[in-house]
Amino acid sequence: MKTGFRQSMAWLHTWSGLLAGWILFAVFLTGTASYFRPEITAWMRSEAYRAGPPTPSAQPMVDALARMAPGGFTLLLPDGRETLGNAYWRESGAGRRGFREAILDPATGELVAGRETRGGEFFFRLHFQLHYMSPLWGRWIVSFCAMMMLVAIISGIVTHKRIFADFFTFRPRKGQRSWIDAHAAVATLALPYHAMITFTGLVTLMLMLMPWGMQVAYPGDPRGFSNEVFGRAAAGRPSGRPAPLVPVDPLLAEASRIWGGAPAGRIAVSHPGDAAARVEVLRGPEGRLSNQRDAVIFDGVTGALIAREGMTSGAAATHGTMYGLHLGRFAGPVLRALFFLSALAGTAMVGTGLVLWAVKERQAAAKAGRIGFGLGLVEVLNLATIAGLPAAMAAFLCLNRLLPAGLAGRADWEVNGFFMVWGTLLLHAALRLGGRRGWVEQFALAGLLGLGLPVLNALTSPWHLGVTLPAGEWRLAGLDLIVAALGALLGGAAILLARRQDLPARKVRKMAHGAAPAVPPTMRHGQAAE
Amino acid sequence: MTVGVALRVRGINESGGRWRAVGIAVRVAAAVLGGYALATLSSVALAVTLPMARADAVLTGMMAGVAVHAASAIWVFAARSAARAWGGLLVAALPLAAMALLGQWQATGRILP
Amino acid sequence: MTTLALALAYAGFTGLCLAMERHHEQVFGTRRVPPMRGSLFRGAGWLLLVISLLVSVLGAGPVLGILLWAGLLTAAALLLALLLAFTPRAAAAVALSPFPVALLLML
Repeated sequence: MKTGFRQSMAWLHTWSGLLAGWILFAVFLTGTASYFRPEITAWMRSEAYRAGPPTPSAQPMVDALARMAPGGFTLLLPDGRETLGNAYWRESGAGRRGFREAILDPATGELVAGRETRGGEFFFRLHFQLHYMSPLWGRWIVSFCAMMMLVAIISGIVTHKRIFADFFTFRPRKGQRSWIDAHAAVATLALPYHAMITFTGLVTLMLMLMPWGMQVAYPGDPRGFSNEVFGRAAAGRPSGRPAPLVPVDPLLAEASRIWGGAPAGRIAVSHPGDAAARVEVLRGPEGRLSNQRDAVIFDGVTGALIAREGMTSGAAATHGTMYGLHLGRFAGPVLRALFFLSALAGTAMVGTGLVLWAVKERQAAAKAGRIGFGLGLVEVLNLATIAGLPAAMAAFLCLNRLLPAGLAGRADWEVNGFFMVWGTLLLHAALRLGGRRGWVEQFALAGLLGLGLPVLNALTSPWHLGVTLPAGEWRLAGLDLIVAALGALLGGAAILLARRQDLPARKVRKMAHGAAPAVPPTMRHGQAAE
Repeated sequence: MTVGVALRVRGINESGGRWRAVGIAVRVAAAVLGGYALATLSSVALAVTLPMARADAVLTGMMAGVAVHAASAIWVFAARSAARAWGGLLVAALPLAAMALLGQWQATGRILP
Repeated sequence: MTTLALALAYAGFTGLCLAMERHHEQVFGTRRVPPMRGSLFRGAGWLLLVISLLVSVLGAGPVLGILLWAGLLTAAALLLALLLAFTPRAAAAVALSPFPVALLLML
């Protein structure tokens, strides 16, 4: 009975992991990159970069926005990571199409003129809603795969009977054994992270996944629930009587005092310049895990405190904490680096799992002397995903530097370029089916692009390593350094694979029945796991 | 017909040619559709019966729903046969459905929304 | 403080590891772990992990400290597994790192 259970779980682990694996790998890797979303955006629009500490005053930006968006706006305040002000608002009477965005210089409130780019937002969106399809479809697909991931994690724990005995075990150069070791190591050593990130990821999308609870509990009031939980201060109607907007900096200071010194993250102003104006100050991510709404509302003319809004119940705190943990915006540099490392381990967990399936199947295929369609498909997808996606991501960053600034639809072409490179690598993987050569070539490409990025950056941007390192501008230097390091890793994998001799003759003879030319497993050793 | 087939389908690792494939398909359906139905049902049941503010109850129900779906999928593939897999889901669904209806009735005086 | 907590976590894991036959053999060349030595390694390992938790919490507060500790455990364990695979003796030697780190912190 016990073994039957474990066998069932092993089967479940294998198939739930494999079938969702390629999307999960992409979700993990782009999610990993999204830990540095503001930094990636800043790098990709480096001509607009403002060095130094954030400007203490929000007033210039609020003044400028009050002119641009008389109906009201929301402004994301600069902080230690984001140096510019990001604002958005809805043009009145324009419906869904009236969504406007602006990036502002905190010192002057002027619009920042930079190249058109999605920046880190592209990886972030790809991470949970894919691309070239409606965001809703993308979210459902990602949620489905995330549920498969959760099931694979639980069944994997059951399957792996010697978690503690094998905790630190990695035996390199032992073929399939090494892949099992590597897979188990990156999975168990960061297990709390993997379980947390998968479960909380589903929690971030649960309103879409299971809406009926709120529909039943809020009959005839479809927005009631989200108003209560995520809240928008009622904007009210403009009175029509003009009145100057109160200075906002004292309000920010007052809100911060209420939060025990934690800084504000954003400020939402409705009807600036009208007697009915309101200012809503929202707490930022600093100093708390939860991202639940914690707002202080002020009268926009007198500056009088009207209310503090936000749920304080245990359920709301639990939900907010799960949401906040998933985003990780509260994390300082060290914790962020550790999250990044664990997320890389998660990516490696999915990648090694995918390769492991192919390696096992290869041995069975060698015995049978025939490579089935399924194995071929898995090997092509593995190569295009594990080696192809990092290469395409590096190409995305390169394209940001290479596409002309005035190109029409420039931001879209960066994205299209990313998918063109990735699609080409998928074709390449199909043409190179069954050998090690495809892996060598794609890893080499990823390595070259990664290592070349700082060089390309130096040729095309004023903020290259020669400037950012001496100035201590880690926000920009970090991307060059991390991408180059990952490029070195992938390039190293390419060199190791290219140097590797084929399997010892004895084994090859045993495996090579008939005319199967490419019998050695594509990759046998653990070094290329990450 | 389907029930008859499913009843004969045994453990997931027992070989049995076509029957095995049918059994797997029945289980996949149980995990994906049955598990989802059970998860949403539990989210609704908790949303209308938990003794807390309704926004809290809804949030708790949804968070529990995520766990319920994962647990259902595990159960479905651990069960000794595909029929038992569906049976287990149904057994779990009954009290939840009763809870949901009772809560609905208490709140609105009506059974159906 | 973070470096110290990391070094302590690494040392703690090394202790747990050396109480296991497979890794004991990698480092000391003999598979049999003397019972006294085994319990000593295991006890010291757990103790060091707990001290690492305390150091994290003292440095970063209870909530962030526990998160930090969890992240450090992962980093330390990955490093240890990697070093053990390729240079087991050096892996054991790195476990002594809390001493210099603590000294540096005191200066």
